[in-house]
Amino acid sequence: MEHARHVFRVALLLIAGLAVVSIGRTLLVPPSFGLYGPYRHDNVAEQMKVREPAHAGPAACGECHEKEFKKRASGKHKAVSCEVCHAPKAFHVRADGSMEAMPIDRSYTLCARCHRKIPGRPAKFPQVVLEQHLNGPPEGEACLQCHDAHSPAM
Amino acid sequence: MPEITGFSFPNDIHVWWSLMIVMYPYITGFVAGAFIVTSLYHLFGRKEFKPIARLAMATSFAFLLVAALPLQLHLGHPERGPMVMVTPHFTSAMAGFGILYSGYLVVLLLEVWFVWRSEIIARARRSRGFMRGLYKALALWTYDTSPEALEIDHKAITLLAGIGLPMACMLHGYVGFIFGAIKANPWWSTPLMPVIFLMSAAVSGIALLIVLFQAVSKLNRRQADQACVSALARWLWFFLIITITLELLEIVVMAYERSEPWIIISELITTRLQFSYVTMQMIVGGLIPLILLGVVVLMNRYLHPRVRNALSTSAAVLCLFQVFSMRWNIVIGGQLLSKSLRGLRSPYEPEVFGREGIIAAIALFLAPFVILFVFDRLLGTQPAEEEPAGHGDEPGSRAPAGTSTVTL
Amino acid sequence: MPDTRHRLPVVQPDAEPGTPGRRQFLASAARLSTGALAFFAFERAEAGSNPAPAAKRSSGEYNWDEHRWTYLIDTTKCIGCGSCVRACKAENGVPDGFYRTWVERYVVGTEKSFVDSPEGGLNGFPSVQVDFHASKAFFVPKMCNHCAATPCTQVCPVGASYRTKDGVVLVDGKRCIGCAYCVQACPFGSRFLSPVTHTAEKCTWCYHRITKGLRPACVEVCPTQTRLFGDMKREDDPVRKIIETERVEILQAHLLTEPQCYYLHLDKEVR
Repeated sequence: MEHARHVFRVALLLIAGLAVVSIGRTLLVPPSFGLYGPYRHDNVAEQMKVREPAHAGPAACGECHEKEFKKRASGKHKAVSCEVCHAPKAFHVRADGSMEAMPIDRSYTLCARCHRKIPGRPAKFPQVVLEQHLNGPPEGEACLQCHDAHSPAM
Repeated sequence: MPEITGFSFPNDIHVWWSLMIVMYPYITGFVAGAFIVTSLYHLFGRKEFKPIARLAMATSFAFLLVAALPLQLHLGHPERGPMVMVTPHFTSAMAGFGILYSGYLVVLLLEVWFVWRSEIIARARRSRGFMRGLYKALALWTYDTSPEALEIDHKAITLLAGIGLPMACMLHGYVGFIFGAIKANPWWSTPLMPVIFLMSAAVSGIALLIVLFQAVSKLNRRQADQACVSALARWLWFFLIITITLELLEIVVMAYERSEPWIIISELITTRLQFSYVTMQMIVGGLIPLILLGVVVLMNRYLHPRVRNALSTSAAVLCLFQVFSMRWNIVIGGQLLSKSLRGLRSPYEPEVFGREGIIAAIALFLAPFVILFVFDRLLGTQPAEEEPAGHGDEPGSRAPAGTSTVTL
Repeated sequence: MPDTRHRLPVVQPDAEPGTPGRRQFLASAARLSTGALAFFAFERAEAGSNPAPAAKRSSGEYNWDEHRWTYLIDTTKCIGCGSCVRACKAENGVPDGFYRTWVERYVVGTEKSFVDSPEGGLNGFPSVQVDFHASKAFFVPKMCNHCAATPCTQVCPVGASYRTKDGVVLVDGKRCIGCAYCVQACPFGSRFLSPVTHTAEKCTWCYHRITKGLRPACVEVCPTQTRLFGDMKREDDPVRKIIETERVEILQAHLLTEPQCYYLHLDKEVR
């Protein structure tokens, strides 16, 4: 063992290194880690608050826009949420209560997104070949010439 | 934007694991392969490898120091990289990286220390000033070079090589597991993957050492020890046969079974990967070295040293390309096909600059050679002398008598 | 003969302090390591000795023990309008070119089929001509399946991705290192690395909405009742009833990831 002094030196160095690493490691583990599984449990609460909900549903729009709300609710578009054609409520009424004009898209492309006849749509769903339906190429606010967007049946 | 043929899932069109993730197994392959060679001497006592045993260990060490860099360069948040060692999630093979890497680093560091300890002390004795202080610190301020101490060193080296070899294999094998255990990707998912990676690593390590041995011998104006060269060629041939067999086996079985993924995978191989897989990995990097090395091994007795050197070195260089293509085809190839099993994207073109680019990759490949150069200056990579005290610092200026291993 | 084991031959005088004996070394080593181990063990005990009571409230009034969320998609009703994709993008700030949810269209003939998903269906689908006789065509909305045995959380190296008790798979954006292993492991292509945060992101079933009693944005806006959100722990939940009594399918069932998005009327062409 006389001649193994260098081995002991190395072993001491190794143990010291391991101790430093272990202590350092435990200091870096986040507090809620491992409570319910191998993850940081505090993140669950963070995810619940990650942002304010942007969509509010038609009823929230109806609080101010009763006329359009009633028209929609009794027509063929009653299953289409206001926020589909317009924008989510949060774009219109901001968190601090200030307002921004709600986008209103009157072009035929908005209507065509649902109602143009393309392969894949269920046969019973109302869809048209636009060129035939309009007797010509579609352009501008073609659909709104005849249909009320909130209650489109004629 | 990449071009897609067929249909790929909308999120599936990006190559997330870039050139850096091709470099990482390439570099750890050298670590494992070079360590296998040095263990053939230090653990299994095969004397014909003595001329390069130290060079191989230094090479393994130099590449190991660089091995973590490609990963750090790739991460979305490199500053959080060490979290893998703070909160490792052990169901993930990647979490093993922290423990395997640092564990193997410690083992190799210790083994390097024990192997070079008498050399460090000898150099400390010969030096003055700052270098002397440095060598003394490296020796941990004990200077025992008695036969008993050296005997203890020898035992320690054998023990460390015995621990180090499985660790080196695991350090590279786990990379294969990372790919092989992904059931979502049919090009990757196979139990053969860790084995293929490991055999391929042995090929790359031995090939690199063949090239390095020739280069170092040329620099020292000596002929490379022919017994060592033919032993290296023999082992390279052996590992290359296994590697190519396993790689081909994977494809053949998939083609024979003709499960759903085979349709898109055969299209992948014949269109997107035609150059890198068929040409580079199999023919230029596989068939040709197999033939060249076959000549070296089977006709060993009849070969002039210059022919042996030329054949084995050119085969080795081709093998280095083969292993790189193999890594590329697995990492990049697996991301060219979509999980929809219906779509392929256009081939991946790595950026030139940028932290995951070609220049960074070349720098990563060259860095270990710089480290090796410094290592050689500091500690020397020539095989151990028969007498304990050395003569002269420069390897090239060492007297040929007693150190020459030239055989004709 | 000078003892050269512990000193170098003197060229300049070297003052070597006395080195500790072996006994002292062992003693100090033992002290050091015990101290470290004790500290380490104490930390672990602290974390483990505080198991939350069974009805722990995660935050406020929401209790995750009371819910097990689930999702149902009836592919016969989807019209491919892409409202869900737009709503998700607006609700969650999804970066351009990436999709937390998307819609695929299948145009199927007896020998061939054609599948597309232009921008994930964000702006609806264009008309399409195929070079074969198509006998059927349909849309399939997709998103993260929040699998019960998910490979994506299995492969996360730092425990950044996890599954909550109410069945939602989430990513801790502060912990994720951006290695993209989970992206590779997902068989459904649901995940991506955000170019903004450089961390993994995916559909969260609008966790910030469902924990407030709202429905995910995609379900909220779907005009044809294609997408339905349910709670397997609620007694009278209609989605639960359908899943329990009707023939439902899941994607890539052979991979056994136990997806929690159930599909009605899926076709053999869908992966």
